[in-house]
Amino acid sequence: MTDNIYLPSIATVKEVRPETPDTSTFVVTFDDPEVSDSFTYRPGQFAELSIFGVGECPIGIASSPTWKDCVEFCVRAVGTVTNAIHDLEAGDKLGVRGPLGNGWPTGEIEGKDLLFIGGGIGLPPLRSLIQYVLDNRERYGEVQIVYGARSPQDLVYKEELKQWEERSDVDLAVTVDVGDETWDGPVGFVPPFLREINPSPKNRVAFTCGPPIMIRLVVEALEEMGYAYADIVTTLEMKMKCGVGKCGRCNIGDKYICRDGPVFTFEELRRIPGALEA
Amino acid sequence: MVQRKKISKSDLGRWLDSVAEKYELVGPTKDEEVHLFGPVSSGAEMDLEYSNSLIPPKSLFFPQVEGLFAFHKRGKEIELEEAKPLEKDRVVVGIRNCDVRSLSLLDRVFLDDLEDSYYRERRDRTALIALACPTPPRSSCFCTTFGIDPLSPEGSDILLIDVGDLYLVDVVTERGQELVALGEGLFTTLTEAEEKELQPPPVDMPALDVGELKERLDALWEDGYWDKLSLPCLGCGICTYVCPTCHCFDISDVGSTSAGIRYRCWDSCMYGDFALMASGENARPSRRERMRNRYFHKFSTFPSRYGTGYACVGCARCLVHCPGGVEITEVIKDILGKEGVSDG
Amino acid sequence: MQDRLRETVRQILGGGGMAYFIGYAEGAEPHRVVPCFVTEESEVQNLVWGPLCVQNLSKYVLRGRDLEGKVGVLVKGCDARAIVELVKQNQINREKVVVVGVPCQGQADPRKLGRVLGPDLERVSRVEDAGDEFLVTVGEESRRVAKEDVLLDKCFHCRHPLAFEYDFTLGDVVPFEIEAGEPEYAAVERLEGLPLEERRAFWQKQFGRCIRCNACREACYACYCEECIFDRKAPRWLDRPPLLPENELYHLIRAVHLAGRCIDCGECERVCPMNIPLSRLYKKVQKDVAELFDYEAGMECDSVPPLVNFELDDQGPFM
Repeated sequence: MTDNIYLPSIATVKEVRPETPDTSTFVVTFDDPEVSDSFTYRPGQFAELSIFGVGECPIGIASSPTWKDCVEFCVRAVGTVTNAIHDLEAGDKLGVRGPLGNGWPTGEIEGKDLLFIGGGIGLPPLRSLIQYVLDNRERYGEVQIVYGARSPQDLVYKEELKQWEERSDVDLAVTVDVGDETWDGPVGFVPPFLREINPSPKNRVAFTCGPPIMIRLVVEALEEMGYAYADIVTTLEMKMKCGVGKCGRCNIGDKYICRDGPVFTFEELRRIPGALEA
Repeated sequence: MVQRKKISKSDLGRWLDSVAEKYELVGPTKDEEVHLFGPVSSGAEMDLEYSNSLIPPKSLFFPQVEGLFAFHKRGKEIELEEAKPLEKDRVVVGIRNCDVRSLSLLDRVFLDDLEDSYYRERRDRTALIALACPTPPRSSCFCTTFGIDPLSPEGSDILLIDVGDLYLVDVVTERGQELVALGEGLFTTLTEAEEKELQPPPVDMPALDVGELKERLDALWEDGYWDKLSLPCLGCGICTYVCPTCHCFDISDVGSTSAGIRYRCWDSCMYGDFALMASGENARPSRRERMRNRYFHKFSTFPSRYGTGYACVGCARCLVHCPGGVEITEVIKDILGKEGVSDG
Repeated sequence: MQDRLRETVRQILGGGGMAYFIGYAEGAEPHRVVPCFVTEESEVQNLVWGPLCVQNLSKYVLRGRDLEGKVGVLVKGCDARAIVELVKQNQINREKVVVVGVPCQGQADPRKLGRVLGPDLERVSRVEDAGDEFLVTVGEESRRVAKEDVLLDKCFHCRHPLAFEYDFTLGDVVPFEIEAGEPEYAAVERLEGLPLEERRAFWQKQFGRCIRCNACREACYACYCEECIFDRKAPRWLDRPPLLPENELYHLIRAVHLAGRCIDCGECERVCPMNIPLSRLYKKVQKDVAELFDYEAGMECDSVPPLVNFELDDQGPFM
């Protein structure tokens, strides 16, 4: 970060990996080696990506800070800026301003069993933490990942899912809402899928990210399974603009999602008037 | 240590003219019956016989439109050019104490641990010569409710107090002393007799008792009061534009992908699309939520977040200019008078 | 009159099926009148009527159209023109609105009153109609202010819709007449008479002062688009910063969108915090529409607005 909190650093796209029909991973490196060296982040933080002339938008950092040579973002083409990002090819440049936000509580969860529940495009923010945990595997207990998407095509990180499947120290369960001829795995929505798997809340922290309706039902399920709100962690998506807690857009209660979040436990959210309605 | 001097009204103009030689002089000017703060080349251009400006002087530190940086694309390369600093240091004359207080509240937003360098520069390079109000400058004013004293030099470099033919001049800071020094000979110290005689008229503005305001407001989150209150609101955003403590902004790019400027400009949480996301979800979809959010921000969540008093300075600009007749003093009284959940 | 008003509203509420009744009430200070949404009988006593009841409340009727109950509204004859147009433009269901017409003998423009009274405006506790004058109570004193000095511009050319059927009236709701003031389009004609450069300088100065708060749009009964063109993000027609070119576009486009629909209620000018003389722009639009199409908005319940209609003898000098 420069002294000017609004000034992005210039980065170059090294690689573009399509993940689903509307989502791609962008691997970027900073042009200025000093920026590269000083860009240290925590899993769960985000950056504001700029397509100059079009605008800026907040995207979660999907790589783990244990990977030194590049930063990854998984972007879904849904608005003007994200569509412009999708026009980028390897060699093109963009602006990156960050890291911003609070990040996942990597320290507090050491020694605990971890449960990750993702839906669709909700996997990338979780993935930064998953990869971080896998790179520091001995510090954490069980790693259980429950992931679902609308269809097999909409699964993000298809290659990584295969790798996690093969690891003996990761328990992966993937479902899709609607299958197709390529799919011979479970079919069904994530919340009931989760209930079937029924991981015990004992010494376990749950991390969830996905469409709002999925999160609502997942949290309901977790509560019924005995998880305390303080042990259910999510990352919030709200309209953000400046990313530095000034423009008011992501302000909810006395919190700024871009500074006090985007990662919150449900216990924290419960205490912010209006947060759980949003 | 505040030093009190005096200057005649005719000499004030001469002093300000000498200030204008070294600094950019800014003061209230009248245009179509509306007062606005703007640069002036001499003291005579200012209208100090005014109640208050329409747009608060927050605009001098957090302008309505501000270029953040320019960008140029050459081939694949992108160059960013930061905005230039102010050409000259500035001296603002005529700012009222409500607005002075608002700056200390805005400081908490812009000068936190992620400091806004644009605001910082303007704040550091601007001297404040406040002008004590005839109390009240308008019948709608209620600054004393928030512990603001129209006669206090707190927060300014210099405070001017009109006592008829002359101004009392309270010099607070070193910067204030440097400015006074530019008017060598025009300022005189007061004699003991003058100290007693030349007293400003006492402040005559009843204050509402808002000690319990936050507590009572917090209990009204689910209350039907906001449905009723939001009925006359037109959603125009005037309240946020004229409010000295409002600070919401938008950031956008203008130009093309080859060259342009990224700027920020005032925005309003009262607009329907303020919290609207590309996905279609809106954190505050109706006027009820937006109205509630505004009052909670001023009287609950801003104080809670920044550890300050209430984020309202009692200038009543919102009250005076709201086209739908929403009156903040009545809202405060309503909140204080309510016990809790209403019939909706 | 106030008693009659309150009695009528009590009757209306008592009849059931009402979401609320919209009238006027005294604000925090008596020289300020604010809209009042009455839902319960106990609130009826807050309703007032007098020469400070300037605001056109019809805009709120538009807002209440999706409510289950009916919406009642107090209108001056000029405000009723908005009801006529809203019905004609298929924006409200006439059956769902209870319109109470109040006889009005001219309204005091708060800005003009402020000019006449100066700081004493803040000590005004009452303004009453007294024929050719207003009786203004300032502190303990009662002052007489000639109506022609402080009337709203539109009051000099008061027009009510022809044959409008009010649901209730509080007396004879007829247009106010006064022999004073200049001809209706005099201010517009003065501008029209200026050389182009001077006219442009006039409007550029005014539009340059606009802060794009959008109050004029929000106050206007006719601005009811679900997504206003100026709010569209894609394509982005106007950026938010109040720069002159954008401001010009905003005002000129809005004026053209209002052609054939502007009822001269003056809300746009009333609400503008920068005192931009918008009435001069909109009166120009009204004048052009009157000359080109022999039409005035809000006057007849059956006529079709000219810009959504054509006649074979329409002028088309641009073709």
